[in-house]
Amino acid sequence: MKRKALLAIAVAIAGFAVTVGIATFLLRREYRAPDRAPTAAVEETPRQQGIADQAAELEKKNRELPYKEVEYRQFPKVGSRVAIWVVAELHLLFAAFVLAVPLFALIIEFIGYRTKDPRYDRLAHEFTKLLSVSFSLTGTFGAFLTFMLVILYPKFTAYLVSVFSITFLPYVLLFFAEAFFLYTYYYGWGKFSPRVHLLLGVGLNLVGTSIMLIANAWLTFMTSPAGVSEKGALISTWDAVTNYTWMPINIHRIIANVAFGGSVAAAYAAYKFLGATTDEERAHYDWMGYIGNFVAICAFLPLPFAGYYLAKEIYAYSQTLGLTMMGGAFSWLFIIQAVLIGNLFLAANYYLWLGMGRIAGAEKFQKYIKYLLILVTLCFMVWATPRSIISTVSEIRAMGGSSHPALQFLGVMSAKNTAVNVLILTTYVSFLLYRRSGKTAIVPWAKAGNLAQLAIFLVAASIVIFLGVYGYFVEARVRIAFSIPQVLSVLFAMVSVTVIDVFMFKNAKKEGEPRWGQIAPISQYVLIFIAVTFTWLMGLMGYVRSGLRQHWHVYGIMRDTSVDAFTPTLGFATRVVSVTVLIFFLLISFVFWLASLGGKKDWAPKDDSPRGEDLEAAP
Amino acid sequence: MKIPVSLRIAALAVATTGFYTYVGQLVPQKEVHPPVEVVLSKDMSQDEMRRVGREIMENKGLCLTCHTIGKKAGPLRFPDLDGVGARAATRRPGMTDVEYLAQSIYDPSAFIVPGFNPGMPVINKPPIGLTDDEILAVIAYLQSLGGTTTVTMQTKLPYQTGGGEPAH
Repeated sequence: MKRKALLAIAVAIAGFAVTVGIATFLLRREYRAPDRAPTAAVEETPRQQGIADQAAELEKKNRELPYKEVEYRQFPKVGSRVAIWVVAELHLLFAAFVLAVPLFALIIEFIGYRTKDPRYDRLAHEFTKLLSVSFSLTGTFGAFLTFMLVILYPKFTAYLVSVFSITFLPYVLLFFAEAFFLYTYYYGWGKFSPRVHLLLGVGLNLVGTSIMLIANAWLTFMTSPAGVSEKGALISTWDAVTNYTWMPINIHRIIANVAFGGSVAAAYAAYKFLGATTDEERAHYDWMGYIGNFVAICAFLPLPFAGYYLAKEIYAYSQTLGLTMMGGAFSWLFIIQAVLIGNLFLAANYYLWLGMGRIAGAEKFQKYIKYLLILVTLCFMVWATPRSIISTVSEIRAMGGSSHPALQFLGVMSAKNTAVNVLILTTYVSFLLYRRSGKTAIVPWAKAGNLAQLAIFLVAASIVIFLGVYGYFVEARVRIAFSIPQVLSVLFAMVSVTVIDVFMFKNAKKEGEPRWGQIAPISQYVLIFIAVTFTWLMGLMGYVRSGLRQHWHVYGIMRDTSVDAFTPTLGFATRVVSVTVLIFFLLISFVFWLASLGGKKDWAPKDDSPRGEDLEAAP
Repeated sequence: MKIPVSLRIAALAVATTGFYTYVGQLVPQKEVHPPVEVVLSKDMSQDEMRRVGREIMENKGLCLTCHTIGKKAGPLRFPDLDGVGARAATRRPGMTDVEYLAQSIYDPSAFIVPGFNPGMPVINKPPIGLTDDEILAVIAYLQSLGGTTTVTMQTKLPYQTGGGEPAH
């Protein structure tokens, strides 16, 4: 047997050698046409001859030219800036989603592990279904962006590479690690012990966050460069990484990613809810949508505070940059932002109010909704009031200036800070009412607890309003400093009231469980509206973060000398943002559709179809 | 006829983005171009210097993003420049108006006007990066705000290096 095997190997090697030998012999003798046909064989017209001569002359000239580095290349039709803008934004949106979903999927899985409730595990798995295709799209857009940068902005890209060269290899390796953790986490669902699976989730989150931290270093360096000389030469890569706006952007992005990821996951649930055919499906996706939206709103509430921190650091780095943002070319962008955030607050509150309908015993809170609506609307109006308004000459004369005599007082920082803090408190009250729906606290200190909560709310609201009004009578630096106690009092109120509420309703008497699935279908469209608005808001704020540099690639270090060096109008910017958002939703619909395929039956030929007959007849 | 869910969702997405795009068209539309380089000749008159100085302050210098001239009411983030030409001579003992204005521009953190926060960038360095000649023109204009212009294009300031251009 052994001898036969050896013989077979020897024959195989000999056969291979003979085949290679014959092939080589034949190829050497194969007829090949000359590389260029003799010119005499082709009859040329004078025009053809002229073209050929021109081409030859051009080739000769090009051969003599020395190599010259190109600073910019143009993208056809829309230009390089718009092309880079759209691709970068799409990459960022998918990356934000891929980073955010594992964060709350892991928390939900952990809750399921601790409570032994399989619903949570199923929910976390459902969220994770959206990840694998999104991860591929993130990587694809990342590669697309890199190529676009190299092709369209070679000089600038070379400079960034020179500053951050040592960060690229770890970035790529982390991407591999991300792929390992993500796919093992998803495909390993139910295949490992819960603890091992949770650890995989922790690894996925750590690696994902590390990737984001590195990428954030590159983009924040462009706004607030550090670690380089005045001429741009590298002094310290670490200082370049840990530049002024790096940590504020890290914090802001983590929170915003969770808010965005939660809202998109809720939109997926809404899409599934609207297409559901059974009550069980509706109940599951209603619950999923609620959780997704809950995650989004929980992250959304502290987001303005993270925004303050980022703005403060931008001012600390450069007053000029800060004033360009808030008082210069971009000041009107924050009015558009106020419209978006106001809509988000309105929609989030509306969803909670609609959700109360599915809880028995929530009727007693219905009477408060109109007051909450009035408060939300008033705050929204204050926040969206501009300092100066676009007016005709006669209107300006009538008003005595470009600002309205009364409304101008609502257009300043004091009024807006107050409005946003009251808005956050109001939304929190809506959530608290929703949380309490169908429950009655039975602890003996329930009355005292309620009073304490009311007192905390009143004190926090009084501090916010008092400082808001007092801000009109003090100088700028004092007024700006007021935003900190305003924010802290709101945060304190939310945390302390939640703690009291958790203990007060720990073993509360339940009047009825939420009837999941029994919610008005319009609530699901509200979830989709929230997701679109969040995405649009991310696009807009991405624009201001990047556009803030105006005619600089790297602020104060490398000037943009391309044809796109100007800052476009806000109208143009919003059109680009809208197109990007629609492309994103087209692609994410594809992700949703793919994620839905898993629950569908396998394809099988129909017995009565001609194709089925053909297949059956086939040998 | 029942409209399919996917079509309704698509319509909602398009309507929402359409609404925000519309809001974007309602706000003032301003395209901001990179500052235009002003050509300064050494034989400019003081009148020309003042005119060019004002132009630089509005555009390349970005001075009026933070400072105001003649603001009568409301809070100030940075000092109002009305009358600075007269104040400059007495602001710091032992310094002439030109010396004080030059210091404010080349080394703004050396002296902070009481009641205000530091925050003014060094004007002859990027990102603003005015040249020495451009700064002379700005000083000429500032002197005219409540005082008399004495600088000329030949005036030598202790800070002058000839810089002003960014690295790349």
